Amino acid sequence: MLLLFPLVVSALLFSIGVYGVLARRNAVLVLMGVELMLNAVNLNLVAFDTYLRDVVHSGQVLTLFVIAVAAAELGLGLAIVLMIFRSHQHIDIDRLRELSDSDAADEAIARDHQIWTGVAGGER
Amino acid sequence: MNPAWVIALPAVGALVVLGLGTRAATGWVGAAFGLVTWLAGLWVALPYVGSAESERHVLGEMATGVAPIEVALTVDGLAALLVLLATTVAFLVLLYSVSYLRDEPRRATYTALVLLFTTAMATVVLADDLFVLLVGWEVMGACSYFLIGHYWERPDARAGAVKAFLLTRLGDIGFLFGIFVLGTATGSWSIGAANESAASGAMSTSQATVAMLLVLCGVVGKSAQFPLHTWLPDAMPGPTPISALIHAATMVAAGVYLVARLDDVMAASPVARSVLAVIAAVTMLGAALFAVAQDDLKRVLAWSTVSQLAYMFAALAVGGYAAGVYHLLSHGAFKALLFLAAGSVAHAIGTTAMTEMGGLRRALPVTFWTMTVGFAALAGLPPVVGFFSKDAVLGVVSEEAFQHASWQGWLLLVSGLLTVVVTAAYSIRAWLLVFCGEARGARPQHEAPWSMRAPLVLLALASLAGGVLVLTPDLVDPLGRTEGELVHPVLAAVTTVVLLVTLLLTYAEWWRVDGLDPAERFGPTRRLLHRELGFDRAYDLGIALPTWALARTVVATDRDVVEPYVRGAGTGARWLGLGLRWLQRGNVQVYVTAVVAGGLLLGLGAGWLVP
Repeated sequence: MLLLFPLVVSALLFSIGVYGVLARRNAVLVLMGVELMLNAVNLNLVAFDTYLRDVVHSGQVLTLFVIAVAAAELGLGLAIVLMIFRSHQHIDIDRLRELSDSDAADEAIARDHQIWTGVAGGER
Repeated sequence: MNPAWVIALPAVGALVVLGLGTRAATGWVGAAFGLVTWLAGLWVALPYVGSAESERHVLGEMATGVAPIEVALTVDGLAALLVLLATTVAFLVLLYSVSYLRDEPRRATYTALVLLFTTAMATVVLADDLFVLLVGWEVMGACSYFLIGHYWERPDARAGAVKAFLLTRLGDIGFLFGIFVLGTATGSWSIGAANESAASGAMSTSQATVAMLLVLCGVVGKSAQFPLHTWLPDAMPGPTPISALIHAATMVAAGVYLVARLDDVMAASPVARSVLAVIAAVTMLGAALFAVAQDDLKRVLAWSTVSQLAYMFAALAVGGYAAGVYHLLSHGAFKALLFLAAGSVAHAIGTTAMTEMGGLRRALPVTFWTMTVGFAALAGLPPVVGFFSKDAVLGVVSEEAFQHASWQGWLLLVSGLLTVVVTAAYSIRAWLLVFCGEARGARPQHEAPWSMRAPLVLLALASLAGGVLVLTPDLVDPLGRTEGELVHPVLAAVTTVVLLVTLLLTYAEWWRVDGLDPAERFGPTRRLLHRELGFDRAYDLGIALPTWALARTVVATDRDVVEPYVRGAGTGARWLGLGLRWLQRGNVQVYVTAVVAGGLLLGLGAGWLVP
């Protein structure tokens, strides 16, 4: 079997995934991009496992492992997305900038701090 | 008795007196310790006066990298004389101070420091190890600093104390290295070993020269000789009994004592002797001339001390050990007398300015008569002790000049004879201005109490009777270091005639100007001498100001050259931080883009480099 076809498909999948992560605003779609990249890697693993005729099939085993980890990760990621939606009423990645190192962000943090603790000010 | 008692007793006394504080008994307790120290001094010293024997006590030993430092004390003829002089004057000064400082709030520290001073001088005198001597020497320097600055409310006292400390310390640097040279030359820090090594020729001439020139730095500082002479007159704001102590028996005497103690090493180095001769010749005449023009009684006496010390160095510079030591003892007696009498005058009228004095003869009879004896001794009038000791010094100098025809001898002889004239002039000038004529300012309140009069009378008797010492030259020179007599009749006659003429001329001038200052006759020269030829100004301009300028340059360099680098490190880190902050803008996708772009670049680069 030619190795080229699965590799091309995998490269395409990965590129689509990267595009999704870089270009999409919706956090759920970004997570889907991540999943696409993971699966591109999985495809690679299986393809090379077969191509190299690995006796213990470590590639396939690793693929199963990645799928399990990806499922857990997605669960966590979607939970985070849910929390973000509850606190911000949106899941727009572009507008989630509280962690930037800027004065506006610092003020926002101080504001949140005051909301949560009732104490003015906050660590800068 | 172990000589360490002479050192330990006043030190204990100092602690006790400090513990007593400002109680009324403080002065008396101090005087009692002075008496006990004097008795211990007698006990230790008397068996060795005029004896060629010496006894060495080793109290302990400290290992060093090279030769061990031995805490060793030696009593011999010279040390015994100096112990007697120092403990006697210290006792009399303590007795005198009881009344002099009766109303002084700081008399506890004062008395304690005088006792500590005695300890230090006894250490210097008795030490057989150069480092033990140095300890006493430096403790003495510190005590003199504190005592000169006793009235530290006064700026001139503070300045004088700092000046004394700095100038003596400047010389002590040389002294310390002189000790190192002596130690390396002999392999031991013992003074006796250094003398033996020099006398037996084991020490080379160059080693002796280097060592003695360095030691002379310390001696010149301590004994206020040219060019470090300016501190002694500025030390006058201290209490007057302290001046008596410093000028007569301790501090400045220590310099002369050290040269006498290292006489064998001096003898091994003609160069060091010549240098000492030049210093002595310059100092004796210069200081005497400065004394002529002073308006302050204590300042006159201070310059006279500098000049008289130069006499001692003159004798030692031409090998006149006996004459030098004799003049040291004689000067110790009459200078203590003069300063204590000056203190009595100051006590009575509250000032030491001679422009305020005059006509004190009747009001202060005891002070008048005793101080007259002191001035007679200073001028060298027969039959007071100063006449004999000065004659001994000039005699040994003239022998050097006539018999060995050396330039050092001639230089010292000419300078010494001129100094005799000038000394007579300033002595009688001060005497006339203080005691004769009309009262010009302050009226004396009272003659001093007995505890102040007694030391004056005792010292006056000693000054009158001290001349008999010439009959027993073995007393000052038991080892027979110098040949020749202490008495030189022809020279004595010549100097006495010169002296009397000078006294008469000064008296006539004083009579002519109607009881005013006879020194005014010199006009502008007098003002120049009054400013002491501007040595202070020159030292200010030549040393102090450049040092300040250098210090300011260092500060400016630190501020303008070093500090910018330090600040630059901080500023650079801040700028770098601002750049990184700009990158972290909060958009996660920008970060991921950067990561992907970086990964791509790395991958491409790796693929390109590793085909």
